[in-house]
Amino acid sequence: MGMASCLGRPTRMAASEGMRMTAHFRWFLSTFILLYLMNQVNSQKKGGPRDVKCVTSDLQAWDCSWRAPSGAGRGALYDVCIQNGSHSSCYQLGKTSTKIPPLNPGQYEITISPLHDFGSSISKFILNEKNVSLIPDPPEILRLSANFSTSTLHLEWSDKGSAFPRHTNVIWEIKVLRKENMELVKLETYNTTLNGEDTVLRWSWASDLPLECATHSVGLRRYVDDARFSGRKEWSDWSPLQSISWSTDIQNKVFPQDKVVPVGSDVTFCFVTQEEVSSAQISYAKYPLIHLDGENVAIKVHNISASISSGTNVVFMTNKDMYGTVIFAGYPPDIPQKLNCETYDLKEIICTWDPGRPTALVGPRSTSYTLFESFSGESVKFKRVEAPINESYQLLFQVLPNQEIYNFTLNARNPLGQSESTIFINVTEKVYPRTPTSVRVKDINSTAVTLSWHLPGNFAKIKLLCQVEINKANSVRELRTVTVKGVDNSNYLIAVDKLSPYTVYAFRIRCSSETFWKWSKWSNEKQYLTTEAIPSKGPDTWREWRSDGKNLIIYWKPLPVNEANGKILFYNVSCSSEEKTQSLSEIPDPQHKAEIQLDRHDYIISVVAKNSVGSSPPSRIASMEIPNDDLKVEQTVGMGNGIVLTWNYDPNMTCDYVIKWCNTSQPQPCLMDWKKVPADSTEAVIQSDQFRPGVRYHFFLYGCRNHGYQLLRSVIGYVEELAPTVAPNFTVEDTSADSILVKWEDIPVEELRGFLRGYVFYFEKGERDTSKMRGLESGRSDVKVKNITDISQKTLRIADLQGKTSYHLVLRAYTDGGLGPGKGMFVVTKENSVGLIIAILIPVAVAVIVGVVTSVLCYRKREWIKETFYPDIPNPENCKALQFQKAVCEGSSALKTLEMNPCTPNNVEVLETRMAVPKIEDTEIISPVAEHPPDGSEAEPESHLAVSYCPPVIEEEIPNPGAEEAGGTAQVVYIDVQSMYQPQAKPEAEQDADPGAGGGYKPQMHLPVTSAGDEAAAEGDLEKTAGYRPQANVNAWTLVSPDSPRSTDSNSDVVSFGSPCSINSRQFLIPPKDEDSPRSNGGGWSFTNFFQNKPND
Amino acid sequence: MKVLAAGVVPLLLVLHWKHGAGSPLPITPVNATCVTRHPCHSNLMSQIRNQLVQLNSSANALFILYYTAQGEPFPSNLDKLCGPNVTDFPPFHPNGTEKARLVELYRIIAYLGASLGNITRDQRTLNPHAVGLHGKLNATADTLRGLLSNVHCRLCSKYHVARVEVAYGPDTSDKDVFQKKKMGCQLLGKYKQVIALLAQAF
Repeated sequence: MGMASCLGRPTRMAASEGMRMTAHFRWFLSTFILLYLMNQVNSQKKGGPRDVKCVTSDLQAWDCSWRAPSGAGRGALYDVCIQNGSHSSCYQLGKTSTKIPPLNPGQYEITISPLHDFGSSISKFILNEKNVSLIPDPPEILRLSANFSTSTLHLEWSDKGSAFPRHTNVIWEIKVLRKENMELVKLETYNTTLNGEDTVLRWSWASDLPLECATHSVGLRRYVDDARFSGRKEWSDWSPLQSISWSTDIQNKVFPQDKVVPVGSDVTFCFVTQEEVSSAQISYAKYPLIHLDGENVAIKVHNISASISSGTNVVFMTNKDMYGTVIFAGYPPDIPQKLNCETYDLKEIICTWDPGRPTALVGPRSTSYTLFESFSGESVKFKRVEAPINESYQLLFQVLPNQEIYNFTLNARNPLGQSESTIFINVTEKVYPRTPTSVRVKDINSTAVTLSWHLPGNFAKIKLLCQVEINKANSVRELRTVTVKGVDNSNYLIAVDKLSPYTVYAFRIRCSSETFWKWSKWSNEKQYLTTEAIPSKGPDTWREWRSDGKNLIIYWKPLPVNEANGKILFYNVSCSSEEKTQSLSEIPDPQHKAEIQLDRHDYIISVVAKNSVGSSPPSRIASMEIPNDDLKVEQTVGMGNGIVLTWNYDPNMTCDYVIKWCNTSQPQPCLMDWKKVPADSTEAVIQSDQFRPGVRYHFFLYGCRNHGYQLLRSVIGYVEELAPTVAPNFTVEDTSADSILVKWEDIPVEELRGFLRGYVFYFEKGERDTSKMRGLESGRSDVKVKNITDISQKTLRIADLQGKTSYHLVLRAYTDGGLGPGKGMFVVTKENSVGLIIAILIPVAVAVIVGVVTSVLCYRKREWIKETFYPDIPNPENCKALQFQKAVCEGSSALKTLEMNPCTPNNVEVLETRMAVPKIEDTEIISPVAEHPPDGSEAEPESHLAVSYCPPVIEEEIPNPGAEEAGGTAQVVYIDVQSMYQPQAKPEAEQDADPGAGGGYKPQMHLPVTSAGDEAAAEGDLEKTAGYRPQANVNAWTLVSPDSPRSTDSNSDVVSFGSPCSINSRQFLIPPKDEDSPRSNGGGWSFTNFFQNKPND
Repeated sequence: MKVLAAGVVPLLLVLHWKHGAGSPLPITPVNATCVTRHPCHSNLMSQIRNQLVQLNSSANALFILYYTAQGEPFPSNLDKLCGPNVTDFPPFHPNGTEKARLVELYRIIAYLGASLGNITRDQRTLNPHAVGLHGKLNATADTLRGLLSNVHCRLCSKYHVARVEVAYGPDTSDKDVFQKKKMGCQLLGKYKQVIALLAQAF
């Protein structure tokens, strides 16, 4: 820096602040500029000292130097004067630099005059502190060390504070260089304040790269920032570098080794080797290699995950081998949770806690715990077992004498950090006693016992709250709480009273402190049977007289446990009157009745129960039975679980009422049970486990007077009615053509299961084997139903029936509990014989009358008739016009006037002859069937009227060649299938199997010969049936009553039908309705149809 | 057998098995008398054979359990990490005399027993929850002790060899964890290999 630059600063200041300069300052500035210009002129002319520069390293001295003028020798002398106002100090120097003490603030004129150099000029400079630079000396590193396990560098140096004023701020800049090529990896500033003394400063730095893998160098410099120094401050030079490096002897090692790091951190692994490394991997993941000095490599793992218990393996692979290290990534210990301290016995305090989040670190790296008590200053450490399984976290702390308040701090620590949790307790309020043991029970009396138990612990200072649980069979659990004074390791004893005699109790105990914290666990149960006491009451007693009235049966009920107060050994029964007393002693307990013969009826019976302690109070009952003539049996029905009996209040009844009951089906005298109700009651609900639905019970209500019992009501009833289990057994008493008389029997009471309310009678037309049998009672419209509510009625006549018809009858009984099962029967009504006779006689009579009248008229008018209808025909022989040869006409008696030869292929011939052939007045009927009637057939001759047509019918599908050869003739055969109905009943259960045969079309070739039942399905309505019809003219056939009931008789003979035109077919013959049909008037049709053609009602 | 386990085995344990004891035992004096505390069983060789068969049958399972517990990349790099590269392992010559084979067997069993003790100790801290591995290691160590006792008894009773100079493997207590894992794996790999050879030789 030249003089111009040293002085330039004020010039620039003057220029910049010229606006504010005062006139004085302007004058000074003009002078200064003039001097400067004169100096320049002189320098150019002669030359003088220039470029004065002043620096300081410690503010103790200024080191000023200048450049000698050109041509000046090395040994030139200078006269240096420093003038500040009127004060001036000069001295001679033989060099171009000088140390001067620091100048006070202000401007100084420095005059440097070269001595003995006449050619040189004097140089004058203005010196100010602001022109001085503060450049401290470079710091010195005292020590650089490394902790390789933590990859940490430790640096020590002195701040040289004694050289600077106190409170001077110093900024340190530290740089860390890595590898041989000195890569800057860390540059950090560090501020300190000097205290006037030399102080050793320390700085540590943890390297991300293990220090073993590369050389690390450290250097530092400083910047002294003294506020009182107004000159320029500059950084010192860097200190000499110091380096740390790993021993080069150890090869093939991976670093860091066995390091514990937090999960999620970034870790750099390096491998010191002289071999060529091919790859590096953690688990299955490979990582890119970072090359360091030589063959050393490194990898950087970001966000490392938690390790397994044996750690995370990091391996580097060379061509020859695999090298690695293990790192343990885990978590610092969580804050211990649920820290709880309590005592079982006031000897030890047990503190338990939940460690919280697992650290993923085990073994020597796992968390260690220390429990510290602040008042006593004592602590205990958590000793971990080597291989914990289901480890429980707890620590025991000995209770200190005379200390109740404890302030615990639980400290958790592992290599990654520490945490703590605190708890403040009063130990006497945190008592959780151990389970009471050695529970014992002793008698006091039959209703009280003593209960003792052992409870370990030093409880002498506190009171205990104990709970006794008393369990009795079939009873609610009872809890009693008692407070006992605590003792040290001793037994406790309490009395338990208000117990029942001769009762098994189960006792168990638990305790806590009076200032309740926790109940102990229940002790084991101790069962105990209390001692016996005398029975508290006499047994409930009843008596029944034998039917002969001489023997009295005395009943009593066993005493309930709570009244027996012990095991009843026997009973004593006595019957006493004014005159004498009879006794039955020591009747053993299982027996609860006794029979005694009495000559009179006015005894007082007394029953006493005895156990080992004593006798019960006697239970008394009068033997006398007061008659009651006004008694009728009533009916009642219960509500399912019992029966309610009510009666009117009777002030005459001075003692209690007794209701006894029995099953009506049991023999007399029967007694199931009895119940006594107070005398002021008017109602009793009778309930018993013995009651069953559908069973009839007999209830007797007795009223008690002073000297006997009187039967007041007799009631039969059911707790619940059910439907009868059986059907009434019924028979058909009589059957006519239009009615049936049915008679039935009562259902036994046991099977009735309720009060009988009536019968339901169902009937309908139906056959035994038809499907209509099913669902008769299901409300079909064709089923007639008769409801018989008069239960005394035992017969029923069903009228308006059809004759010779099968009817299905079903009878069912019902109660309020429902309808019982039905019993079915099939009955066929008788045939109407009167109608048949009338049907025969009337036509015969009419025919006779008509014939007689016709005959008489014809006789009387025979001449007129003859003249009118049969005039005399002239004899052609007498006619001349018609002269026949005599030979032709003679001798031919068969010569007729008219001979018609029918062309149809039937064999009906109409013959007309006047001569030997008798006059045919009716058509001759020829029927093969008529000629060979079936055996047993009752067909009348009229019914066999048949006309022979076409070929003869072939029976049973067997072709008849002879018939076929008959050619042009056909024959239809109608077989009488008359049924043999008898008016006898055919009872049949409703559940009988239905034959299941149906009507309709049957194959022509395979008509079963026993298919009468099937064919019956087509009866009656055959003409309406849409079935197979014969191809021939039906009207041309002759039929025999196809709709006759007889045709449906399953017992009839084999029936066969034939077709007039088809040999191999069988057909039903539909009765012709055409009144004009001559066939319909055939004599083979039953007259019964005329009279039975009613709707099917 | 129980007598042997109760008497000889603890004695041998006291004599031989100290974890980390790496120096050989003192050389057997030439004229030392051989005394066993209890009489040896008559079918010793049969028992030795059975024990070797038993160890051989469980060696592979122990090996698998071990390297599985160490985590990757052990299971997938068995050749490099678990190869039977145990340099100072006692030799065995199957064609030697029975006495020589028994002496060599004794050395091997002693070596294996000590090494197994190191492995068991290391795994207790490294894998404290690996109960299966611990059980297998303990069972193998127990069988090795029994075998060592029987071999000693045989040597003593038949060949009057009272003491055998043995050597142990390196102590792993000062090794880093990876080295412990690797050395244990290598030892078990060697054990699996050697025990098969021994079972065949006897």
